[in-house]
Amino acid sequence: MDRLACVDVPALPLQLLLRAHPDWRGHPVAVVAEEKPLAFIEWVNERAYRLNILSGMRYAAGLSISGDLRAGTVSESEINQAVSQVTDSLREFTPNIEPSSDEPGVFWLDASGLSGLFPSLQTWGEQIRAKLAREKLRASVAIGFSRFSTYALAKSRRTVALFEDPDAERAAAARVALSRLRFNTQTRDALRKLGIETVGQFLDLPAGGLLQRFGPEAKRLHDLASGSAWNPLQPRAAVEPLTGRMELGYPETDVVRLVFCFKRLLHPLLERLAEREQALWELALTLHFEDVSPKVERLRPAEPTLEVTQLLNLVHLRLEAMQLPGGVVELALETTGALASREQLRLYASRPRRDLAAATRALARIRAEFGEGVVVRPVLKEGHLPEASFSWEPLQSLTRVDVAAPHAPVLVRRILEKPMPLPLRDRREPEGWLLHDWRMGPVTKLDGPYEVSGGWWGGGVQRAYHFAETQRGDQLWLYYDVRRRRWFLHGVVE
Amino acid sequence: MPVLSLNAARVAAAVRAPSAAPGWGLGALSGRLVELCALGPSARLSLLVGLLWEAQERGEPVAWVGPCTGACYPPDLAAAGLSLESLVTIRLQEPRAIARAAEHLARSGAFALIALDLPPGTNIPAPMLSRLSGLAQKHDTALVFLSEKSPGDPSLSSLISLRLQSGKHRVSEGRFACSFEAIKDKRRGPGWSHEAVHHGPAGLR
Repeated sequence: MDRLACVDVPALPLQLLLRAHPDWRGHPVAVVAEEKPLAFIEWVNERAYRLNILSGMRYAAGLSISGDLRAGTVSESEINQAVSQVTDSLREFTPNIEPSSDEPGVFWLDASGLSGLFPSLQTWGEQIRAKLAREKLRASVAIGFSRFSTYALAKSRRTVALFEDPDAERAAAARVALSRLRFNTQTRDALRKLGIETVGQFLDLPAGGLLQRFGPEAKRLHDLASGSAWNPLQPRAAVEPLTGRMELGYPETDVVRLVFCFKRLLHPLLERLAEREQALWELALTLHFEDVSPKVERLRPAEPTLEVTQLLNLVHLRLEAMQLPGGVVELALETTGALASREQLRLYASRPRRDLAAATRALARIRAEFGEGVVVRPVLKEGHLPEASFSWEPLQSLTRVDVAAPHAPVLVRRILEKPMPLPLRDRREPEGWLLHDWRMGPVTKLDGPYEVSGGWWGGGVQRAYHFAETQRGDQLWLYYDVRRRRWFLHGVVE
Repeated sequence: MPVLSLNAARVAAAVRAPSAAPGWGLGALSGRLVELCALGPSARLSLLVGLLWEAQERGEPVAWVGPCTGACYPPDLAAAGLSLESLVTIRLQEPRAIARAAEHLARSGAFALIALDLPPGTNIPAPMLSRLSGLAQKHDTALVFLSEKSPGDPSLSSLISLRLQSGKHRVSEGRFACSFEAIKDKRRGPGWSHEAVHHGPAGLR
């Protein structure tokens, strides 16, 4: 028979708040919806409860009862992140874990087939509690056979409850007080008035009529508790962290350029995180150096995020503070995600302003109208001659758009497809050399020569490149072809 | 100012292309027909590359439409920081086809900036410019026409929203002040200017 366990981390938001503020232990503490006096109290600890500060009260009302009340908020993303962390921690004990979708802090675990790994299920349960205690979370574990019974028993116990017999499990669950379960307050009060205070008494109620008298929640719980609603374990799959790496062709020490390299790695990883409905919780940077062992730095934003700018600022600050021991030759990134809130995913999804699929369709229309070879992109090559240092390659579609490096303010040349022959330079009047446009005036300055040769398999090309400045101020890029004994204009600096 | 704040400012400056003038920059040019003119020493390409970089940095596609007789030298584009992989380039035999190809791109709404490199003497029919103007506004695209003319020559059309005259002069060895002056601006009024120092390619002293 399959074994099932339920782990309950009670009042998870309250435990998270106390974990963040350990100095608040010993005081009345409340989790509030917002940090405002009129905000509602959502969770209270034992001390606050004894002072009659209850959930549902206004924060100001709680403060009026006890001025010592400590309160704070816990966001949905923090809760999601904690659920992900606990799920990852529990994977040490079983591969199949189903976090509750309704009640953060409740987890169902597959407890079957573990006899070879753990001495006993009791030990297994105790190790789970110890693991979570090391993460500063208090938990209870109930090991049995059914989803509802283990849930009810985990809610009512503080340690590990193990049941070897389904009947014993059912009998123990029947004795659990309804006040321990997550029940609508109105429904619970209505049941209490009828003298129904335990799970067993609740299960004794006839199923028909529950829906009309107490609503769909009570009906659903009754179905679960009685076993008439079959609900198998739906484990959350383990997710591998997303990684990226980049080899640099040279040792890089400039922090700004390194940040840009990380940016190129980070973009696709964030897209994949968003596809998983996650935001980035932790970023691990690995820097490989030439002569020094690699360094790993871990960064965590204030809360899980998909904001690139925020993450790159953190990367930049860490790299600045690190004092690189040498040139970086390889970078690697590893991201760990946590469940993202709907708002984060909505904002991330709304960011792309341009439809790349529409761009691809436009390119297809241009090819159809003007020919296949007109839509291209430049690709750098290794040739020595300027025209061999790049080529135009067909571009079928547009995928991601990103910059290659920080912007550098450099002058850009316009290169002519066919170099233009120039008039000969009169040796007797070297300063009166007029090029192709008389309006430019004569050449006043000639920088060079810069010898370039290539194409030896085709007879060989030998050129002496120069930059010519004219009287008007134009900068022209020209060369003297040694074999043809002729000057050519190859481009203009614009 | 704390050191980290200074460095953060340096990163921010390095991340963004120099666009000091309020009338210049991708945001200021979006949705408009812009004519970037020059006759003589020009910095049209170099200044436009800054805009292309800015668009790519935002993750927005850009396109260059021009004749196949000449083009920006790709190694210089790479040196300026542009991603060549995502630089859509349309190379056409007929100068008259440049505007038509640009219309296809503008109609898709997928491009933040489309540069039309017009050979000297190229005219664009008024109906075509009218459609391009409408598409630029509709899709928030900057359509930048590169033309060769002096400040006294008429604009391509009255639909041109911003006309800039570009110039360049040497400031020191290998460094040039690249500038333009707004000789027509329907939004801010003419007369403003922008200047930035650029480094020449290797070998240009």
